[in-house]
Amino acid sequence: MLSTPSASFTITLPDTLTIRSIASVRDDLLQAIQDQDTVIVQVPADAQADLSFLQLIESARIYAGTAGKRLALESPVEGRLLSLLQRAGFAEDMSADDAGFWLHQGEIQ
Amino acid sequence: MSFPDPIAVFRTEAAELLEQIETGLLDLNHDLADKEQVDAVFRGLHTLKGSGAMFGFEALAAFTHHCETAFDQVRKGIVPATHDLVTAVLGATDHMRALIETPNGDHEAASEVLLAGLRAAVAAAADPSQTPAAAAPAKPQDVGYRIRFSLPANAMANGTNPLGLLDELAELGTCRIRADKSDIPSLDLIVASDLHVRWDVELLTDQPRSAIEDVFIFVMDEMQLDIAALSPNPAAAPAAVPAVAAPVSSATPAPVVAAPTPAPALASAPAPAPATAPVPAETRQNETKQAKSAENVRVPAERLDELMDRVGELVIAQSRLSQLANSSADLQLRAVSEDVERLSGELRDTMMVLRMVPVAHLFSRFRRLVHDLAIETGKKIELITEGETTEVDKSVVERLADPLVHLVRNSCDHGLETPEERIAAGKPAAGRIYLTARQQAGEVIITIRDDGRGINRERVRAKAEASGLIASNATLSDQELLQLIFQPGFSTAQQVTNLSGRGVGMDVVKRTIDALRGTINVASQNGEGSNISLAIPLTLAIIDGLLVRVGNGRYVIPLSAVEECLELSLDEDMRSRGRSFISLRDSLVPFIRLRDLFRTGTKPDPFQKVVVISTGAERVGLVVDQIIGDHQTVIKGMSKLHHDVATFSGATILGDGGVALILDVGHLVAAGQQQEAQLRAAG
Repeated sequence: MLSTPSASFTITLPDTLTIRSIASVRDDLLQAIQDQDTVIVQVPADAQADLSFLQLIESARIYAGTAGKRLALESPVEGRLLSLLQRAGFAEDMSADDAGFWLHQGEIQ
Repeated sequence: MSFPDPIAVFRTEAAELLEQIETGLLDLNHDLADKEQVDAVFRGLHTLKGSGAMFGFEALAAFTHHCETAFDQVRKGIVPATHDLVTAVLGATDHMRALIETPNGDHEAASEVLLAGLRAAVAAAADPSQTPAAAAPAKPQDVGYRIRFSLPANAMANGTNPLGLLDELAELGTCRIRADKSDIPSLDLIVASDLHVRWDVELLTDQPRSAIEDVFIFVMDEMQLDIAALSPNPAAAPAAVPAVAAPVSSATPAPVVAAPTPAPALASAPAPAPATAPVPAETRQNETKQAKSAENVRVPAERLDELMDRVGELVIAQSRLSQLANSSADLQLRAVSEDVERLSGELRDTMMVLRMVPVAHLFSRFRRLVHDLAIETGKKIELITEGETTEVDKSVVERLADPLVHLVRNSCDHGLETPEERIAAGKPAAGRIYLTARQQAGEVIITIRDDGRGINRERVRAKAEASGLIASNATLSDQELLQLIFQPGFSTAQQVTNLSGRGVGMDVVKRTIDALRGTINVASQNGEGSNISLAIPLTLAIIDGLLVRVGNGRYVIPLSAVEECLELSLDEDMRSRGRSFISLRDSLVPFIRLRDLFRTGTKPDPFQKVVVISTGAERVGLVVDQIIGDHQTVIKGMSKLHHDVATFSGATILGDGGVALILDVGHLVAAGQQQEAQLRAAG
């Protein structure tokens, strides 16, 4: 689902972000980044996510970076998503860039 | 191409795992000190738990975890294996099946009851004279490992959950998990369902290396896994690993927020093994496992059935081609036709081998059945199986399961006596049931024999007369009398039990065996036991047949039953009128004139032929007008309208598009023997 705040697009992801639905999330996200300069990703607080979601967001970051676009999470991950990040080993050895993106540490947005 | 449903694949594999676990448990029950079986059961439970979690069967995974933990304690020597513990886990395997079958069902109460039983069995197994501290083995020192692994790209799509593996590693001790994201492609290139991440895990654990390998046991064949000891001095590792590992296992997000900046402790972590360092046994082991996994391919059974159908069609088409070629003068066409005939024959033989499975798989389930029945009846029962390597077409094996269950149940419940009765009769307290299989002339013979009380013939006759199955004082051969037990509603059991005695079951056996074109032979001796033999064709798909003509119709006789072909001379034909016997090497063989049996209304050919067929020791001759020759026969079932027509077991399509009926050898031999018995009785 796409909406248009003043200076950026916010894409609200569905509640289920698992391998079963990840292909369509990928298509929506790719479309949003291709169409917009800045895309804000809103992840529902109670979203059910798995590793494929983390991969996809990392993949989107690479694409946005290469295309000179800006991609950000609307809010830092917490709760289940943060736990997922830790379990998957994405929270270990985080670069400042990663920490900025996922946890909104340092300068972001 | 369609891909199999991963849940269905899991269910199939889980069923196999549960069978392996049960086999291990039953073996362990015979020898509680068998360490190999303890390990096998543990591995099975561990794999089931892991794969269950991967495929979303959370309740199964949680329940199995408790059984796995119990066997882990046995494995480590903390508690000994006991019969009660084995029985508790055997009961749990049934519950696991229910959790697999109906994962969303209400299983909580049943789970609690079983787990309470399991806990009690474990507690009873532990030596009460020792304090827990004294009983616990000395805690081994923690050892650091570096574990690097990657899974195949399609791992997640196939149902593997990498997070489950990481969680299991985290349970082994303190660990730091780093995802290697360098292979993740850009969003425009990514296949989102593929796995693009590898992992590098540092683990500090008191568990042996095998515990780490066990985590990957289910995916070992398809993955890359390196396990290396981090440092020979375990004291160096603890300081480094826990410092950064804590957030990983923490449920609260706070500590992790601080994690992004690399912790200094990480720098002091022992250096990883250089990439060029010889990675010893693990890698070689993986290579060997990968090589082994390539030797076997799991194929869904329905694909084999589809392939069999195609081969059947090919055989029919080849038959048409042969007929065309034989009626043509074109030598090249004939040569090609012969090549195609040879190749289709080879293809058929290869196909038949693919469909053959050993009966061991079928027999293994009876060990559990007998174990349970022994408990239920209070009898001591030993099951002895022989000939497990005998191979039968898979469709035959599938359909034999139910009849055998009925027969084994019947032996346990009615055949075998109680230990007291056996001792009084001068027998060992434990009764024996023998389940054997062997091949004999295109058939598999499966025998269920017990050393129990035998079938009471007087009671069978009385019951049959009372039920109106036979007339009072009817003359029956011994076999006919014994075969009455397969009549619907027939039971001589004086008590109806949970197991048998309702007269339901033995008629099911007869119907199933008939449908398989098989025969049942019963033998019994009072006080010494019973012996029930099932003779079943090895295959239900394609057979070699002998094509014959009777009148204007063509018929197929299964070649495996054909002993020899003779000419019925006019003299012999004339002499035999009224008696229908031929003399064959000093023995009289009854024969049946198929022309009369089928009421063809045609005149007999001047030189008729006799095809002598047999089922084991019994022989009968079939008089036909012409022997056309051998024929690869693709068996087609009879239509519902003709399903109960005796004498024919199926039909086949001939090369010219005509239909030939396949003769039911068992039925014809029985008819011939009956004819012989009647003539002998008449003097």
